[in-house]
Amino acid sequence: MEKIFTTRSILLWILFAVVMCAIPFLAGKGFLRICIQAFFLAIYAMSWDVLSGRTGYVSFGHPFLVGIGTYATAILSYRFDMPLIASIPLGILATMIGGTILFLPALRIKETYFALVTLAFMELIYQLTQVVRPDLTGGTRGISGIESITTGAINNYYLSFGLMFIIAFSLWALMRTRLGNALSAIGMNEEAVKGCGINTTKLKLFAFLVSALVAGIGGAFSVHYFGSLAPRNLFDINFLFTIIVAALIGGSSTIIGPMIGALFLTFLLEYLRPWVPGTERFFIYGIVALLLYMYRPSGIYAIFWEVVDKFKGKNASSIKDSTSIQGVK
Amino acid sequence: MTQVLIQGLMLSGLYALIAVGFTLIFSVGRVLNLAYGAYLMLGAYVYYYLVQSLHMPKIAGMVLAIAVGALAGWLKYKLLVKRLNGDAVAIEISTLILAVVLQSGVVLIFNDSSKILLPIVNGITRFDGVTITHNLLTASIMSWLILGGLLYFIRYTHMGRAIQAVSMDTKGAQISGVDTEQVNQLTWMISGALGAIAGVFFASYTQLSPSMWVTPLIIAVAVVIVGGIGSIVGSLIVAHIIGFMEISVSTFIGAELRGVFTMLLIIGVLVIMPKGLFGREEL
Repeated sequence: MEKIFTTRSILLWILFAVVMCAIPFLAGKGFLRICIQAFFLAIYAMSWDVLSGRTGYVSFGHPFLVGIGTYATAILSYRFDMPLIASIPLGILATMIGGTILFLPALRIKETYFALVTLAFMELIYQLTQVVRPDLTGGTRGISGIESITTGAINNYYLSFGLMFIIAFSLWALMRTRLGNALSAIGMNEEAVKGCGINTTKLKLFAFLVSALVAGIGGAFSVHYFGSLAPRNLFDINFLFTIIVAALIGGSSTIIGPMIGALFLTFLLEYLRPWVPGTERFFIYGIVALLLYMYRPSGIYAIFWEVVDKFKGKNASSIKDSTSIQGVK
Repeated sequence: MTQVLIQGLMLSGLYALIAVGFTLIFSVGRVLNLAYGAYLMLGAYVYYYLVQSLHMPKIAGMVLAIAVGALAGWLKYKLLVKRLNGDAVAIEISTLILAVVLQSGVVLIFNDSSKILLPIVNGITRFDGVTITHNLLTASIMSWLILGGLLYFIRYTHMGRAIQAVSMDTKGAQISGVDTEQVNQLTWMISGALGAIAGVFFASYTQLSPSMWVTPLIIAVAVVIVGGIGSIVGSLIVAHIIGFMEISVSTFIGAELRGVFTMLLIIGVLVIMPKGLFGREEL
């Protein structure tokens, strides 16, 4: 088996952390705020990637998970005046329960059907939040004025980067263990994994719980950063689209890929703003995403390694590629 | 009670019309076209632009809307589905991305405020104290005619049988001399055209907005999932189940909850019997 931590990879992680921690000394507050958004998106994308990129169970229900996390945290903190130290863990716990619910259909159905059920989950909770106990959920308007953890762009930058970094590093380490291998194997051929005498149900449940945990952390912390939530922004196909696209065009089932994807997309959206204000940006953004996905399904991360290898003069075929969803099939 | 019956029947007709194009693609191409809702949006916007902005006759608007829908279906097959080579998950994701692109395209041209589409057929009839708009009545009659025609086409014409054959087994159909490429193109075009017609009626029933594609897509998905793959009759029946359920729920329980039960039905049916109520034995 491959060693989990090589000196080179640890050094790269440290370098990454140092560079990112230095950014607040160089950049303005506006830039930092964009970064914070990108970090939260990266957390969601990684959460999606652990589940869908690895196991091949494409989830269209990630807004459902993130939504549970944000709603639970926001309701506990805003309506019941709970301290943050209690509301955030409880919100994450609620998301993990949500992840277990989302897991139930995965016991019996696969591929496209699974994606559709999760889409139905998202629509269901969207409609429920507006109808059931609107005194708690705030109905269609949502909740605003939620307590924030720290103030100021720099503090929040470090907070969100810290979260993303810890999550990314833990997931990266986790995926290099036998457990991570087994999850990827499910994505390649679930029957074969079963045939090896491995309990795939337990593995899948594990993947769902990890995914929900990460989505819950992202949701719970982001609601305290943004200070408000609205059902239409949360349980929305556009939000789902952003998460999936970030993970896919970054490079799915790589952990680093979704991070790159999230940063790339968030900055693309922001830098398009001067030329195309308003929602039209999604048009360009969508076309870029569609073309990248169709022609380079293995994502930016793989393209990056191709370029690196070309510089080193290696054979292009030696790239660790084809781990994307398309490759898995 | 009469009200529930009549309204349920008409809404179901509309839903059947929305779902049938989706079912067709799903059973032939075995792919989920998540951009199906975008056909509805395209059709509705083309009709709106031609009839309400350019003041063209309604028939011309309808015909052109259908043509645009068919063209969109054909292009989608040529440019997207064929290239991805039958990879169901990749198609699912890329059609979702495409739908968002088209949505923003519509925002780009028509801005994102919602618009009212005037009824295609004016007038109302009162029957036993129930008001029936001729618009919705036409929509459901049209949907019955179209569905009948489609069923005839699939069952009794040469081309229709070829479509059926491809939906059962692509390789087998190829061996028997069916031009699967042609069948696929035709199916995608029919699906686009049906989507466009459904879109015009759906928009006149609700309203025109760039996010209008989501609800019909979910209805279509629900109908196809609950009805089962490859069963046009199955999706017809389920369209009625869902239509009547929504009307009953909004009459007897509360209008806000009408969507909730549809979602619960999808989740329930898929978890309990993954092949749907009338689907073929597969999956």
